[in-house]
Parts: sequence; C-alpha cells; structure tokens
Amino acid sequence: MGETVSVINTVDTSHEDMIHDAQMDYYGTRLATCSSDRSVKIFDVRNGGQILVADLRGHEGPVWQVAWAHPMYGNILASCSYDRKVIIWKEENGTWEKTHEHTGHDSSVNSVCWAPHDYGLILACGSSDGAISLLTYTGLGQWEVKKINNAHTIGCNAVSWAPAVVPGSLIDQPSGQKPNYIKKFASGGCDNLIKLWKEEEDGQWKEEQKLEAHSDWVRDVAWAPSIGLPTSTIASCSQDGRVFIWTCDDASGSTWSPKLLHKFNDVVWHVSWSITANILAVSGGDNKVTLWKESVDGQWVCISDVNKGQGSVSTSVTEGQQSEQ
Amino acid sequence: MEEFDSEPTVTWIPGVNSQKKQMCFDWGPGEMLVCETSFNRKEKSEMVAGCPFIHIIRKDIDVYSKILRKLFNESHGIFVGLQRIEEELTGKSRKAQLVRVSKNYRSVIRACMEEMHQFAVADKDSARGRQFSSQVSILSAMELIWNLCEILFIEVAPAGPLLLYLLDWVRLHVCEVDNLSADVLGSENPSKHESFWNLVTTLVLQGRLDEARQMLSKEADTNPTSAGMCRVLGDLMRTMPVLSPGNTQTLTELELRWQHWHEECERHLQDGTFASNPHLESLCKVLLGDDAALLEQKELLSNWYHFLVTRLLYSQPTVKPMDLHLYAQSSLDLFLGGESSPEPLDNILMAAFEFDIHQVIKECSLALSNWWFVAHLTDLLDHCKLLQSHNLYFGSNMREFLLLEYASGLFAHHSLWQLGVDYCDHCPELGRVSLELHIERIPLTTEQKALKVLRVCEQRQMTEQVRSICKILAMKAVRNNRLGSALSWSIRAKDAAFATLVSDRFLRDYCERGCFSDLDLIDNLGPAMMLSDRLTFLGKYREFHRLYGEKRFVDAASLLLSLMTSQIAPRSFWMTLLTDALPLLEQKQVIFSAEQTYELLRCLEDLTSGRPLCGEPDVQQLQDDDIETTKVEILRLALARNLARSIIKEGSLEGS
Repeated sequence: MGETVSVINTVDTSHEDMIHDAQMDYYGTRLATCSSDRSVKIFDVRNGGQILVADLRGHEGPVWQVAWAHPMYGNILASCSYDRKVIIWKEENGTWEKTHEHTGHDSSVNSVCWAPHDYGLILACGSSDGAISLLTYTGLGQWEVKKINNAHTIGCNAVSWAPAVVPGSLIDQPSGQKPNYIKKFASGGCDNLIKLWKEEEDGQWKEEQKLEAHSDWVRDVAWAPSIGLPTSTIASCSQDGRVFIWTCDDASGSTWSPKLLHKFNDVVWHVSWSITANILAVSGGDNKVTLWKESVDGQWVCISDVNKGQGSVSTSVTEGQQSEQ
Repeated sequence: MEEFDSEPTVTWIPGVNSQKKQMCFDWGPGEMLVCETSFNRKEKSEMVAGCPFIHIIRKDIDVYSKILRKLFNESHGIFVGLQRIEEELTGKSRKAQLVRVSKNYRSVIRACMEEMHQFAVADKDSARGRQFSSQVSILSAMELIWNLCEILFIEVAPAGPLLLYLLDWVRLHVCEVDNLSADVLGSENPSKHESFWNLVTTLVLQGRLDEARQMLSKEADTNPTSAGMCRVLGDLMRTMPVLSPGNTQTLTELELRWQHWHEECERHLQDGTFASNPHLESLCKVLLGDDAALLEQKELLSNWYHFLVTRLLYSQPTVKPMDLHLYAQSSLDLFLGGESSPEPLDNILMAAFEFDIHQVIKECSLALSNWWFVAHLTDLLDHCKLLQSHNLYFGSNMREFLLLEYASGLFAHHSLWQLGVDYCDHCPELGRVSLELHIERIPLTTEQKALKVLRVCEQRQMTEQVRSICKILAMKAVRNNRLGSALSWSIRAKDAAFATLVSDRFLRDYCERGCFSDLDLIDNLGPAMMLSDRLTFLGKYREFHRLYGEKRFVDAASLLLSLMTSQIAPRSFWMTLLTDALPLLEQKQVIFSAEQTYELLRCLEDLTSGRPLCGEPDVQQLQDDDIETTKVEILRLALARNLARSIIKEGSLEGS
C-alpha cells in the first residue's frame, strides 16, 4: 500500500530556451510559463489538454517570473525580466495584450507578487538594483508607483505578501468603503536578510522587521496562507543551503522565531506553500523538490522527494522523517 | 515521537532527463507543476536548448475513480448522519447506534470491494485489471482493520463474547473455505476428495465444529474402519463448551466446564484413540490448542491473526481484552518464525490488539493512499470519546486535521466538492477557514455551478467569498457583453463601484443605439437601485421612459428635471436628458411649469457655459460644434416658447 503520484499532463511549451517559471491560474485551468527565450506563454490545460492561448513578446531579456492576478480583476498576468522591465498583460475581448509596462528599475527585476485581492490590484516587484516597487492600479489604465529604494543592498531576490487580515471588528463595512487593512509583505535579498514591510497610514512603506538567520543570499521567501490561526508563518531559503520556517505569535505581533527545516547540500532556490498551507515545497540545487509537512508534534517531516529522471510513471511514496541538523 | 527508519522514497518524473538541470516547482490549486530549469540566472541564454516540457502532477487520483466515488458518496451520507444524531445519543442505545454506524461504513466498503472485484475479474489480464485487484486487496485490508477496531473499540467486547466476535471476524475474512466446501461436497465421493481433510481441518480451525462433524460423518460412512474414531472425535466437537449469546452462565462456569472438556480431549490423545489415523489425531491436537499442530497448518491458516484466534479458541476461550496483545505478539512471532518481517498491515493490527488507537491511526495514515479511511474511522472513534485531543501546529485536534485533509482532496473534483463542504462544516475550529480557501478556487464553469457555490457561501455568511465570486462572474459577463448578467452579479456582490461601471456601459449603449437592453432587469431593480448613484440614475432614467410611454407626461417631466437638479445624472448625460425634454416641450399642452422651465434653462446654461466640474471623470466635451450649437439653439427656442406658454397658463384664471 502506498501513495501514488501521477503525471496527468505534460505540456510542450515549445520554449526555445530555459524555462524559469510556470504558474497555474487560480482555478488550475490555465498555465503561464516564461523563459530565457524572452517570451511568456499561456496555455489552456483543462481536461488534460494543452492549447496555446497566447505567446506574449515584449521583453528584451530572459523572463524570470510570472504571476496571475485574482480573477475578479479579469485575466491579468504580470511578468518580470532581466531587461529591467515589469510587464502587465491583460486579456481583452479574447486576446492578450500588454496593458502596462513598468521601467522604473536600473537592473534585472527578479520577482513579482500580487497582493491579496482585498487590497485592490497591487503588484510588488523586487529588483537587483536593491529596490522594491509597488504598482497600484488606480483605474482607467493608470498605475501608481511607489518605490522603496535600497530595500536590500546589492539586490532583492524575492517578494511575498502576507495574507489579508482585517483588524478590529468584522462588521460589514457599508458598500464602497474599504476596511482598514494593514498591508504587509516580506522580501529577501542579497544582504542575507529577510525584511518585513508595512504600509503606514500616510501610504508610505516602512521597514517593520529584519529577520536574520541566513549566512548567504536569500533566494526566496514565501508567506504562508492564513488558516485561521493567530500565528503567521514565513518560509525562507538561501544560497547557504538552509530553509527556515519563521513563526510569529500574533498576540505579541513582533517576535519572529526561526526554526531550521533542513540544511541541504546545495543552494536552495525556491520555496512555496500549497493552497491550504499544509505542505511546503522546496526546490533545490540538488535537482530535487522535497515536500514537507508539519506533523502531530510540531516536527517538520519530509513526505516526499520529487526527483527528475527516467523511470516508471507512478511509484510509491511513503512518509518518513529526516533528521534535522 | 518515534523515528522512522525509512527515508522518504523518491518519485521520478519521467522524461526530464538531464543531470545538470534543476527542477522548478509550483503549486496549482489541486495539482503540482514541475519543469526543468536552471536557477542560476545568467543573462545570456546558454546555447543549449532547455527542456520545453512542463509536467502537471497530481496526487490522490483515487478521487477520480468512478467506483470509489460511490464509496465517497455513501460514506458521506453516513458521516453527516452520525454528526446529526450525536446529540441524541445517550446511554445504552448510544453504543448500539455507534456500532450500527460502524457496520454501515463497513458494508459500504464491502459493496465497493464487490464491484471492484467484478471489474478485476472481467479485466484480469490487463494492467488495469491488476490495478483493480490491488485496489480490492487494499479495500479488503481496510475492512479487516475497521472490523477489528469495531470489535475492540466500539463494541468493546468483554471476555467471553470477545472470542466469538473475533471468530466471526476471521470467518469473514478468510473465506476460501466456502469455495472449498462447495467443491468437496459437490463431488461424487466427498470423503475421497483430495481436499477433504484440508476442508475438515479448515472448518475446525475456524471453530465451525458442526460442519466439521458433518464432514466426519461422511468419512465414517465411507470408511468403516475409522467410523468409531470419527464418532468419538465428533462427540468431542459437539460437547465443546462455548459461550452462546443469551446464555446465563458466568465466565467462571464456562471456564470450569471447558477445563473438563479439555482434559477429556487430552486423555483421548494420551490413550492413542486416534493413533491409527494421523488426520484425526492431528485434529485432536488442534482441539487441544497445540501450537505445533496449529503451525503445521500454516498454509490453511494463511495468516497470523487467524492463527491467533484459533489459538485463543482452543486454549484461552475466555481471554480478556487487555491480555490480547500478549497472545497477538507471540502469535505473530511464531507464525512468521523469523523468516519474514511484519508488513504494515500486521503492525496496524498489532497496534489495535494493544489498544493503542493513536498508533493505529498513525500507521494507517502512513500506509494508505487516501485519507478516506483514517478520516472516517477517527471521526467515529472520536464520537466514542476515545481520542484525546492532540494539539497540532494547526491548533486543533487530530479528528479535524484528518477530516480536512480528506476534504481537501474532494475539492479538486468537479462534483465531489459538495461533499467536501459538509466535512468542513463539521470541523468547528478550522473547517470554516479551510472552506473559505477552497471554495474560491472552484472553477465556475457553468452558471448553475456558480449558483451552487454561491448558495454554499451565502448559507454560511461567507460574505467575502460571495463578493469575490460575484465580482469574478460580473467581470466575466462584462467581457462577454452580457450587461444584464453583469449588473445582477454586481448587485449580488453589493459592489457599488462595479455597478457604476456596468450602469455606465448601459447608458453608453443607450446613447449609441437608442434603446436599452435587459429592460426587465432594470425595471425590477427595486431597493437594489440604491447601491450606486449611477445605478439609481439608470433605474430612474428608465422609469422616465416608461412614464413617457404611458403618456404620464407631467410625472415624466418632473422626474426628468429632478434627475438633473438632484445631481444624480452624470453631467455627461445632461445633453441627452435635455434632448429628451424636447418632445415634452413641444407638446400641445403645457407640461413644464414656469419654474421648471427656469430650472431647465439654468441647466442648459450650466452646461454650455462652464468648464467641466472638477471630479467629473468623463465629461463629454461639446464636440462637433455645428451639431451642438444647433441642438442648443433648438433647446433654447423650445424652452423660451414653453416659458412663454407656461407663464400665460399660470397667469390665467383656472379653466379659461
């Protein structure tokens, strides 16, 4: 008896160069991919099919990441690239077009992340020039830009938003009025730090916290979705091979404690949470993706190694525990 | 917490070949994406072409099995029923009810097993057939475990009845004997059948002594030399003291009688009564619970728990529940004989015999591919008040944790998601949040499905989700030019901004085409009209048209004027409104009063003289000067004429 994982679809993207990111949309019906071949592609992958919906050109360098906005704003995709640009694409009348281009950075833009839809349509972008810019859609095709200069020295590699939490009472606000959200996001940079940013009342962004634990560049940060508990959780990974899980008890609001998930033998590039935050996926330089889950007694358990290579389509996966160092 | 020795095993993704490339990974709502990449971001593309494939991977494919779907559907019904009767369960009837629920679950498993078995047999030479077969074994194992848990934890059988339940358990699961019986009895000369003695032995091993005696009598008939011995053995079988349900004897009495009987069997063995017939002699040893004799029948026993139960039957019939584990462990050890190690199933059963419920659940979670089993079993055991609360990082107890894990798998399915909702509902601590996270991700492929999802959200006051879903649907409708649909969705979402947007589109359409679409909707807005100013204007403007159509000109006129003076009408529309006023001004009778006419004049002046008011985003510039000037001229003329007529009318005596 064992768990089976099965490849249900293989999409041939026909990218002519390395693929750097692939993201499913909200419902799992569309797939966006981006590549060193400078293109962004969108596929319809319903029912195991693959139909190319769009082949978007506009970047002049390798495209590093793509991110889908919440469907309530329509079909919108953001992409960021080595060419220092962030492009926002939108589907109008059945065709995908560039709807906005942001050129405010002096260096490669490494990461883009959409804010919780409750805040509106806001995109955070982290760049190798050390700055983070925030693009807010204000209507009629206009985007307002706020820039945090020198967010990280040398460069910013990742940005991730905190889930929306409405402070105070939960009484329904009269229509048209937005509740007062406290907007926060996390960023990771080449200064080995993770920084937490908060929007002040005057609309300016301030550094709220510095999380120090890594000894080398932070490659990715991921703020876990809220599952209704009073704790916040962030996962971070770094060039130093370590993955940390940071937790903060919201009662105190300001003390973040790191727990080492694992020390890998190679650079860890990417961490991401599943939709209900119960599994963390870690992609590393050792050609593997490991899936981790917190078990009954608070220990993080590796539940699977997903590796690439030739072999049978479905094999057994059993839960196990790796020792922490 | 124990350490597991096994490392997590590796899942290979086929086709992704190179050893130098890394793997990129992301989560979809129900699946995972994997592709080859290189994380070391170099500016220049390496001239080596990367792999263009992206693999979409999914766990938990059980949810997509048509046969298992019945299992999910029916067990869902049992689950919900159990939660509902919880309050009514008290006292003695409580246990009986819970046992009934347990049996219901088990019968659902068996039904599913049956069906799958049919498919396996029909398809037996293909890979699919083999897959079905293996599913059947898994289901069978699940039922085996569940049955044991029912006996030990829910029925809580005491010493005495315990053995009878265990016997039933074994008979249910080691059932080749029935086929064998049919074979042998169906033959011409049963006692000469090659499997005859195997059959008799199996019957004895399972404590089916009446049937065994019948077999022996057949042997006696055909083989006169052994008739005597068969009779003696048959008598021994007949007189073995058993606890029958409803029997009023105490356990002590039973033990005493059993002891006597055991001694009698022993005497026969010592006296060599069966010495000349090795079959019969070995049967006598079995009746004496002789381990060596039992182990000789390993093949017929086929597994250690059968061995255990037979041992208990013939040596410790009044075994106490708390002593079970000792016999279980020794039975397992003896049966495996150091030749093989216990399998996961063995460990689970052992944990059950040790009454270590948490261990049972843990081992089952590890061994089974789907959360279905542990989720439902744990829930039932929780209702039996057998689980201590285990605090997880997730903050709640194990029951909720498992149920929500199971429910997560359901949400991925296009129709089973509805079952998932109920499971979330019955998890008071974390169910709601889990539901909120999942429900928004359900693809709203049809209007019907969207309505279902919305109903679920509305019933649970999940206003955020309602708003979000309505907004998504409204946007989709606007993109497909279904303005009426978009409007009703924005009203349902109570989204003022979007309602304004859609109303603007309606008005724009009117200006272009001269008529309204979706009149029904606009006419019946009711209080929803108040949602946004623009929407109110739209409704009122339509009302103006209706009044005009009904020839209620005075009312129409007042309404028209009020639309402008109350600032509800967007400035961009004033020209249209004034133009609408023209036919009213041209009527034979005077409709606009003098005062009203002055107001209209003022509005016209406002419009033609001033620059746009600040804050008005889409003020229509007075373009095409010629047409505009002509319009204005015509209006001025009409207004002036009306002013004159109204002054005269108001100045005159009534009726003249």
